[in-house]
Amino acid sequence: MRIKLPGTVDEQISRRSFLRGVGASAMAGAIAKVTAAAQSVESMDDQRPVGPEPVKLVLQVNGKGHEVEVEPRVTLLDVLRNRLQLTGTKEVCDRATCGACTVLVNGQPVYSCMKLAVEMKAQEIITIEGIGGPNNLTPIQRAFVECDALMCGYCTPGFVTSLTALFRAKQNPTLEEIKKACSGNLCRCGTYPNIFRAAQRVAESGSSKT
Amino acid sequence: MSGWPKNPKQLGKEHLRFDGPVKVSGSARYASDMQPVGWLYGMILRSPWPAARIRAIDLRPALSLPGIRAAVTANDAPFTIRYCGEELAAVAGLSKQACLDALIAIKVDADLLPFVVKEEAALRDTSPRVFENQPNAAEPREMQTGEVDAAFRTADKTVEGFFQTQVQLHHCLETHGNTVQVTPNEITCWASTQGISSVRDGLADNISMPLDKVHVMSEFMGGGFGSKFGPGIEGGLAARLSKEAGGVPVRLMLTRFDEALAVGNRPSSFQKVRLGAKNDGTLVAYELETFGTAGYASGGATAGGGGGAGFPAPYIYRIPSTRVRQTTVAINAGSARAMRAPGHPQASFGMESIMDEMALALGMDPVELRIKNDPSEIRRQQYQIAAERFGWNAKHHSPASSEGPVKSGTGCAGATWGGAGRGSEAEVRINPDGTVEVRCGTQDLGTGTKTLIAIVAAEIFALEPAAISVRIGDTTFPPSGGSGGSTTAASVAPAVFDACQNALADLALASGMSDPTGSNWRSATARLRINPIVARGRWKEGLSSRGVGGVQMAEVEVDTETGFVRVKRIVCVQDCGLVVNRLASVSQINGGIILGIGFALYEERILDSQTGVVLNPNFETYKLPGAADVPELDVILQDMPERGVIGIGEPVTIPTAAAIANAVSNAIGKRVTSLPITPSQILGLLEKLPGIRSKSGTS
Amino acid sequence: MQNFEYAIARSVDGAIELSTSESRFLAGGIDLLGEMKEYITSPKRVIDLKLIPDLDRIDTSTSTWKIGANVTIAEIARNERIRATLPGLAEAASEVGSPQIRNVATLGGNLAQHSRCWYYRHRDLRCLKRGGSTCYAREGENKYHSLFSGNPCISPIVSNLAIILAALNARVNVRRGDKDVTLTIGELYSDAWNNPLDHTSLLPGDLIVHVEIPTQKNRSTYLQVSEKGDFDWALVSCAAAGRNSEDEWADISVFLGAVAPIPYRVESPLLESGKLSREAIESIAGSIAAKATPLAHNGYKVPIAQALVRRALTRIVS
Repeated sequence: MRIKLPGTVDEQISRRSFLRGVGASAMAGAIAKVTAAAQSVESMDDQRPVGPEPVKLVLQVNGKGHEVEVEPRVTLLDVLRNRLQLTGTKEVCDRATCGACTVLVNGQPVYSCMKLAVEMKAQEIITIEGIGGPNNLTPIQRAFVECDALMCGYCTPGFVTSLTALFRAKQNPTLEEIKKACSGNLCRCGTYPNIFRAAQRVAESGSSKT
Repeated sequence: MSGWPKNPKQLGKEHLRFDGPVKVSGSARYASDMQPVGWLYGMILRSPWPAARIRAIDLRPALSLPGIRAAVTANDAPFTIRYCGEELAAVAGLSKQACLDALIAIKVDADLLPFVVKEEAALRDTSPRVFENQPNAAEPREMQTGEVDAAFRTADKTVEGFFQTQVQLHHCLETHGNTVQVTPNEITCWASTQGISSVRDGLADNISMPLDKVHVMSEFMGGGFGSKFGPGIEGGLAARLSKEAGGVPVRLMLTRFDEALAVGNRPSSFQKVRLGAKNDGTLVAYELETFGTAGYASGGATAGGGGGAGFPAPYIYRIPSTRVRQTTVAINAGSARAMRAPGHPQASFGMESIMDEMALALGMDPVELRIKNDPSEIRRQQYQIAAERFGWNAKHHSPASSEGPVKSGTGCAGATWGGAGRGSEAEVRINPDGTVEVRCGTQDLGTGTKTLIAIVAAEIFALEPAAISVRIGDTTFPPSGGSGGSTTAASVAPAVFDACQNALADLALASGMSDPTGSNWRSATARLRINPIVARGRWKEGLSSRGVGGVQMAEVEVDTETGFVRVKRIVCVQDCGLVVNRLASVSQINGGIILGIGFALYEERILDSQTGVVLNPNFETYKLPGAADVPELDVILQDMPERGVIGIGEPVTIPTAAAIANAVSNAIGKRVTSLPITPSQILGLLEKLPGIRSKSGTS
Repeated sequence: MQNFEYAIARSVDGAIELSTSESRFLAGGIDLLGEMKEYITSPKRVIDLKLIPDLDRIDTSTSTWKIGANVTIAEIARNERIRATLPGLAEAASEVGSPQIRNVATLGGNLAQHSRCWYYRHRDLRCLKRGGSTCYAREGENKYHSLFSGNPCISPIVSNLAIILAALNARVNVRRGDKDVTLTIGELYSDAWNNPLDHTSLLPGDLIVHVEIPTQKNRSTYLQVSEKGDFDWALVSCAAAGRNSEDEWADISVFLGAVAPIPYRVESPLLESGKLSREAIESIAGSIAAKATPLAHNGYKVPIAQALVRRALTRIVS
């Protein structure tokens, strides 16, 4: 018998009913078992619920359509990293507190860890890979390199993405606006001062085509 | 210092980080990004109880789930759990979701045991014991110099105080973990680590695989701060899962929740201190009694060391008569690990706070008092430089003397650190087409090691750093040490220097050109025809040394109505011998200061006495400094090339919180006695707290 | 998270139709998914509200503005008309979370969000609010908790918008089954004052449709103090609003946030009299302490609350 502290949640019985029929989501190298007539979010004109079995959907990422099949509980972050191998977006807290998972959805920075993949129908998603590759850096990416606005680099894609959104909205933000745009991103190595410098450099150059 | 060129072209300049482009584009691949063919997702089940005897763990319900390929227990039952978060079992499956379901399915039978999570409580005789057969408090260590009691009698002024610091967490953004594959004949591991060799040794031991069959790689890693040595329990579990699953790779990265519980922390400190001085400011006597917790394994060496809650005392200052008594007390919480300058930030806070008390008692300027008693010439000079840059004389005023509810204050503190290099090796390959490759089995934690290697090679060969290819983070490369103690630059640079000199000598011979460097490079290397030059080198004397100082001054504003503290400006004067990459060194300083700001104002791991859980296992209530919390940082990086290369990573985080605390105390005219400095503490010191009415029931 | 069915509501009626005793509504997702990831709640069905037409409108055509429940916090913060006419609302919105959160979080979700008490949110505990037997915060780590409460749970309200909307006399339009119910902000939270199990007065299946805000109060402001400079929950927040015409004040309200399970009204005859001299403001601020019942670690909230009340009133006066 399991002894639990007062207050420990124990919902094993009610959870079991979900474990029937939960299919394993596909991973690279593993083959997904597609259950008969897997539902598709695309065909949802009415309100019919889908899931908990995996659901087929098409995600628009970096200008391309990607077909995936995931349970409703799978986050956009999980899909990007583990199904689409777009590992530039990082998982650091998985709780909307650190910004490492920031992607652009219809141009706006959001935390991909707090978006379900199934919510993302008809949303335009841009990840760091869709912003600039190592051989064609955008002005803000170049400024990051030139101003040493990175150290371990794990928070960097998130900051670049947040600032990319800022510069797409406004060519010459103030330092105040730069800090505000960065306020949802954390850096443990402490690169903030150089991040601000990089962003100010782009703001002052007047050419921020990001 | 003989070795380095007198007028370097590359050393000491600002160099762009080599891995900048791949990091800003998200194409750098970390251990947490690896997805080798057929990989499985790994996850750990942790104890929700702070103390328990685990009677049995039933993995069968997990193994019966579709999508799960392996499950192991962390230990053979029965075994004892000593903190919330201690590992119970682990699973590997086709997806994160499969693993989550599997963890819930695992059945654990446990008898709960009494526990203790507060240091003062753990010291009591009646406290529950973390280990049944020994007291929670380790035998105190006592050290004496001179005649303390007599010395205090000769003091003109004596001040005393009680200072506390909190448990701080590393919270590397990339969590701990590995992607590891164990086949019958070899182990391949991508690790997030500061020490690839330590991971290799640990895995070899864990799985009983010969060392030559264990290959560990870590080209990029997302932060360590002292906590990432060895494979960790998680690496061992991942390896066993891989083996159980038939040799399939398993990627097991910890969650943020796990990071707050189980992979190390900076010990707390509770410091009772007394200081005596003559009227002219000469310190004559010092006494310290301190305890702190390093978690359940208090006093024991843990991954990376850290060994208990002790710290150097008296910190920095020359005091002829001292008595220091330190003990570490165990609680039911995760064990400490070395965290950026272990012991020193706590030491600095206690020492520099009592120094400011003494300055007040003597009516002496705090900087003057420090210079008078500081045995380090480097630091004495740094105080002068900092004071001038900061505008100390104009800015520093008597306590609580600024106008209005938002009061300004200034404070200062100093640091000391080693940063010496030791054995490291490197290999240089010069190709017939003129390209150069350097290989070294070292790590780059964001410290810029990769770039540093290129700078050294470029200096020796009179090329641009961009002409050098650098490969690191692989146990098949020439061995180097773990990246801890701020030793990497001082270890690796001399090794690369040596390898390059050897390679150069070989190239001169092979090409028949006495000076193949610089403009001669292409023609010299062309003469190699088809065979590259390959030369090894190793660390040698004369290129690095140890012992740095560091001084920081802080200017703060305290809103005395709300208790809110804003750091306006920090001036830092730091030495590190010969600067290799000025840009990266300044970034290290910025980063260390910001970590120190977190220690000063925001960060604290909080345990609940009633349940033993960590209440803030997230970034919501364990608060890291953000963009709005960064003050103006004014950094003076000194050049002392004659001293050779010395490490800089740790000294820069030591005095920050002490300087801020002194500045806050100066602003409000009351002594800050504990970290982090919260609005609650400020308002308490200002006697603005209401009395407590009723504890329970409704209002 | 546990697995679940996912459905998209196409209308308010449709959302009600889809809801069951074990469903939850999904708007921005910051609160709901956070709870689900810790297994605090594991709904069998998650109903996405974001495609319901007309819930994302800001209607300023009459003197009582209507803001739809799906309007994001970011939209509220940057809306020019709100900034000009209801500055306190824009200020409160701009302090919510981070840009990434404001881009997805909604007005409805912000008002309906659940407790942030660290005992409530801990995956391995089951506190009083979750149906257990103990409010751990009372005897435990309570530095973030309530100064005032009508019940044994001392988890404070954390919605910034609730505080300013209370000061603005806003009303919340809720669909309950097939009925439309209009609640004052006070009514929206009153159950949380009395019942430890409640975060709001909303019943399961209730759907916030829009918020109505009269615009007669032409002065409003919102302030908060946190430990960090940004992206941090308020230790204490304060909203003040009133109508000023020709130097005469009327209808001034002051509310405090994060000190009670509800937006806490600062009551004073001086507010009713409409006299906001410096001495009066001082006295109003001072009156808070009398009714507060600080616990072991949250007494500091009293002086902060006093300071914020003083500053908020001073700001709308000047």
